[in-house]
Amino acid sequence: MDFSSLTAALASKSYEKVADICDNLILQVAAEGYAYQEEWPYAIHLLSHIYIDDINSARFLWKSIPPSIKENQPEVNAVWKIGQKLWTRDYGGVYEAIRRFDWSQELQGLVTAFSELYTKKMFHLLCSAYSTISVQDTALFLGMNEDDATNYVLQQGWAVDPASLMLTVKKQPTMTEQKLDPSKLQRLTEYVFHLEH
Amino acid sequence: MGPLEALVAQIQALSGSAGDVSRLHSILKQADDTLRIESTRLSSVLSQLDPASHSLGFLYILEASTGGSISKEQADIIVPLITKFLNACNAEQIRVAPDKFISLCKRFKDQVMLLEAPIRAVAPMLAALRKLQTSTEHLTPIHPEFLLLCLLAKCYKTGLSILYDDIFQVDQPKDLFLYCYYGGMICIGQKRYEKALELLHNVVTAPMPTINAIAVEAYKKYILVSLIHHGQFSISLPKYASSVAQRNLKNFCQEPYIELANSYSTGKIAELEAYVKTNTEKFETDNNLGLVKQVVSSMYKRNIQRLTQTYLTLSLQDIANTVQLNSPKEAEMHVLQMIQDGQIYATINQKDGMVRFLEDPEQYKTCAMIEQIDSSIQRMMALSRKITAMDEQISCDQLYLSKAGRERQRYDFDDFDTVPQRFTI
Repeated sequence: MDFSSLTAALASKSYEKVADICDNLILQVAAEGYAYQEEWPYAIHLLSHIYIDDINSARFLWKSIPPSIKENQPEVNAVWKIGQKLWTRDYGGVYEAIRRFDWSQELQGLVTAFSELYTKKMFHLLCSAYSTISVQDTALFLGMNEDDATNYVLQQGWAVDPASLMLTVKKQPTMTEQKLDPSKLQRLTEYVFHLEH
Repeated sequence: MGPLEALVAQIQALSGSAGDVSRLHSILKQADDTLRIESTRLSSVLSQLDPASHSLGFLYILEASTGGSISKEQADIIVPLITKFLNACNAEQIRVAPDKFISLCKRFKDQVMLLEAPIRAVAPMLAALRKLQTSTEHLTPIHPEFLLLCLLAKCYKTGLSILYDDIFQVDQPKDLFLYCYYGGMICIGQKRYEKALELLHNVVTAPMPTINAIAVEAYKKYILVSLIHHGQFSISLPKYASSVAQRNLKNFCQEPYIELANSYSTGKIAELEAYVKTNTEKFETDNNLGLVKQVVSSMYKRNIQRLTQTYLTLSLQDIANTVQLNSPKEAEMHVLQMIQDGQIYATINQKDGMVRFLEDPEQYKTCAMIEQIDSSIQRMMALSRKITAMDEQISCDQLYLSKAGRERQRYDFDDFDTVPQRFTI
C-alpha cells in the first residue's frame, strides 16, 4: 500500500483533501485484493470525513469497519464518538469527546485542526442564530471555560451584561464578492432581450 | 496447431486497425464451439494475450472462461484477472462487443459477492462503466450494477459521482428503473433529498407497460422522502405518468404509506407516532423504518416552519406548546438546528426567551447567484436543443410516419381545407 499521497497531505496540513485521498486509496487497494483492513488508517479516514462536515460518509465508513477492528482500536472508537455527538447535535459533547481521548501523534494535528475549525463554525452559528445568549451557553458552544469564552467574543465586538451574565451578539457583516463580470450581465441581458422579442 | 492456438494467433494478428478488429469480431463470433470445448485451457492461453492491446480477444476468452458456476477458490483467482482487464482494456475494442463486456461485468459482480467483498469491484466497475459509455449521457447496463455495489460496499459518496450526469440515452428500460432506484437510495443515505426525489420520481413516472416491483418500492420511498423534504405528499401523479402507474401504484401502497401521509397532514405528532407504532413491523419488513423515523422528526420542523408564516416574534415557551415539545430549551435547540441547516431564518433572544423570524436574506445580486442563474439558463437551453433534435428525429422516423399517416386517412379530405367555406363570401 502506498500512503505517500496521504502522508504528504497530512504533512502539508491540507486536511480538506484527506477524505478524497483516503476514499480513492481504499478502493484501489481493495481492487488489488489486499487484505487492507488490519493496516488501514481508519481513524484518520473517519476523522477526515468529519473534518469536511460529511458526517454521512463518516457514518457509512464506520458501518463498514470490521467488528474486530472496532474492538481493538480504541482511537477509531474515539473518533466515532465525535461523529456521534455531531450526529445528535450535542454541540458541547463534541469538545468533550475530543478532550476525553489521548490522541496519537499521527492524529494530533488533524484533531487540533478540526477542533479549531469547529469552534469557528460554532461562533458563526451563534452570530447568525442569536441576538442575546448566556455566557454559560456560549462557553458550551465554543468549548471553553466561561472567562475564555467571554474574552473570545468580546474581541469580536460582542457586549456583556455582568449582572445577568448575558452577551449581546454583534452581527458580522457578511462579505460577499460583488464585483461582477460584465460579460455575464451582457449575456443575461441578451437572454431577456431574446425572450421579449 | 489446435483450433484454440489458431484463434490466439488470429487475435494477436488482428488487434491493430479498426478494420482488423471488426474482422476479428466475426471470427470470434463463430468460435463459440472452440471456446466451449477448450473451456478448461482458456485461462492458460490468456497469458499469451495483452489485455490492453488484444482487448477484444481477451474479452471473448475471459468471458468464456468465467461461464458456469464457480467456487470461492476459483473466484479468488479470476477476480484479480478481471480487475486487471477492466482497468487496462481498450475502450474502442470492447465497445465492439458490448454484450460480452456487460456479461463479464455482471459475473464480476457475482464473484465479488461470492467473496463477500463488494468493495473490491467498485473502482474497476466505475472504470468499466466509463469505457463502455459513448458519452456521459449514455446509461449503460453497468450503471445499476455499479450503484448496487456502492450500496453494498457502503461507498455512497463514490456512487454519488455518477448520479449528477444528465442521462439522455438508455439501452434497456430496466436499467433506468434500477439506476434511479439505487441512485435514490444513495442520495437518501447522503441526505440529498432533492436529488433523491428527482430520481424516485423518474421511476414512478417512467413509461411502463405493466406494474413492476421496482416502481412499487420506489413509490414507497418517494412518499416518505416527499414528507421529509417537502412536508407534504400529493397523491396525484403528473399526467405524463403511465396509466398503469396512475391506476395501480396507490393500491399497492395504501397501507401503511399513503395513510401515513394522511396522518402527517393533520400536523398532530401524537397521532403520527401512534400510527407508526402500530405499523412498525410493516415498515421494518420493507426496510423503510429508518426513513419513517425521519418522517416523524421532520414534523416538528414542519410545524415550526408553519409558525414562521404567521408570526414575526414568538416566545420559546409558545413554540414548545404549539409544536408539542417538552420545554422551551428543546424548542430552542430545534430552532437552532433549523437555522444551522438553513431551513428557517430567525434569531433567538435568550434574555427574553423570544424568537424573531426573519425574511430570507438572499438579495439575488451576488456574483454566485448570477453564476447560478446563468448556468441554469445554459442547462435549459441545452435541454431545449436536445428536445428539438429528438422531435425532428421522430418526425423523420419511418415507423412513426407510417402510423401517423394511417391515422390521417381517417379524416375527410375537407378537414384539411385551409380556408373555411363560410367565411369566403
